Amino acid sequence: MSKSILRVENLYKKFKDTEVLKGLSITVEEGEVVVIIGPSGTGKSTLLRCINRLTEPDAGDIYLGDKKIETGRSNLSKVRQQIGMVFQDFNLFNHLTSLQNVAIGPVKVKKMDKKKALKSAMKELERVGMADKAQNYPAELSGGQKQRVAIARALAMDPKIMLFDEPTSALDPELIGEVLEVMKNLAMAGMTMMVVSHEMGFAREAADRIVFLEDGVVAEMGSPEKIFNNPEKSGLGSLSAK
Amino acid sequence: MGISDKAYKVLSSIPYLLSGVGITLEITVIALMLGTAIGLFLALGRVYGNGVVRRFVIFYSRIIRSLPLLVILFMLYFLGSEIIDIPAFWAVILALAIHTSAYQSEIFRGAIQSISMGQMEAALALGMSKYQGIFAVILPQSLRRAIPYWANEATIVLKDSALAYVLGITELMRRGEYVSARTSQPLLTYIVVGLIYLILTYAFTKSMARVESRARIPGLER
Ligand SMILES: Nc1ncnc2c1ncn2[C@@H]1O[C@H](COP(=O)(O)OP(=O)(O)O)[C@@H](O)[C@H]1O
Ligand SMILES: [Mg+2]
Repeated sequence: MSKSILRVENLYKKFKDTEVLKGLSITVEEGEVVVIIGPSGTGKSTLLRCINRLTEPDAGDIYLGDKKIETGRSNLSKVRQQIGMVFQDFNLFNHLTSLQNVAIGPVKVKKMDKKKALKSAMKELERVGMADKAQNYPAELSGGQKQRVAIARALAMDPKIMLFDEPTSALDPELIGEVLEVMKNLAMAGMTMMVVSHEMGFAREAADRIVFLEDGVVAEMGSPEKIFNNPEKSGLGSLSAK
Repeated sequence: MGISDKAYKVLSSIPYLLSGVGITLEITVIALMLGTAIGLFLALGRVYGNGVVRRFVIFYSRIIRSLPLLVILFMLYFLGSEIIDIPAFWAVILALAIHTSAYQSEIFRGAIQSISMGQMEAALALGMSKYQGIFAVILPQSLRRAIPYWANEATIVLKDSALAYVLGITELMRRGEYVSARTSQPLLTYIVVGLIYLILTYAFTKSMARVESRARIPGLER
């Protein structure tokens, strides 16, 4: 039997008067790759940010493994260490080299010995094909390279699950491929992933499940075959054309 | 008495004037260290503090920035003579430090807020505390950005230190006044004094420009 790594139950969130999440529930099994799609402004980012508490949900429970995520401060750091997050606009630390960007998490958060951290950071950079840019600063990298370093930075914390928030939508078209390639490899290596993305090629190839969010809830969900070939929602019909 | 005689009298006082530079620098450096520490602390309170802290910083900054430095100086000095005795030297340093701290709090606040929110979010997402995020991620970037503005503020403190003369401290300006009286050559004397301030300011500005370029993050344009 597969074991759920992440369980979101009845999540509610509103900003001022706009209700964004309206009782959303979703479960991610170990090793599963879930791709989340849905119209812009529907709460995909809000969902990811509620999971690692960059945003405080109004109501609902989120479990990481069998542990409920609470908002106590010391507890929160432990939870976040286990959840890797990759942002749309990279958010690499601009004053640090690629290598330092990857090493800083283990050093500051896990109190890992600096030499050891740099060594394993190098391994993570190799994994995303960025070892040759280890000594470069983010401003010296292309968007695709930045995102690969950002993925390595998240991986360095050895997370149980990786969250990707539109990781390729800030990239020039010709740079998207290299990032998706890294993500596919990650998926094949068994990483549990929750990916907000409209890259249908990636969804078709790498996703175990596609979740369609609309109006703050899961509108439809299923295997790529089912979603692409027999969409129940009219809104999804256009996707199979892509 | 010819022009050259007059000039000679003033020029021969240059060593005496220069011996006041030490005190000028002492006042400036101590006031700057204090003012920078306070200013940075206030800026952090302004950005990351709770409502009370934030309101206090805004209030402090607004009040101090609307008072002439001379008024702050006299308040401190006479507060000194009436309650606890603050020596003139320290009254000047404190006045300068308080005055510049308000301006520096605005400089540092702007520099901190110029760093995108995503930087702190990325730090938190890794599991860092807010405190770690501030010191390992936000400040290293914002302090770099603040350098030219801070350097400008520092030269203002250097020049404002001339106000120490009203309390009779024999720094550069005060010595200028003595020389002017003794030689009856105020214009020439103050030209010389002005040149000394100019050289100090220029040397400082130049070295800060070097610090700025050394601290520059490769590839990042400002
Ligand atoms: N911090 C915030 N303050 C106010 N409104 C927000 C905030 N974050 C998101 N929203 C609003 O919530 C809605 C959902 O946003 P988001 O989760 O970013 O959508 P998506 O990622 O699906 O495009 C949008 O209408 C957005 O304007
Ligand atoms: Mg979004």
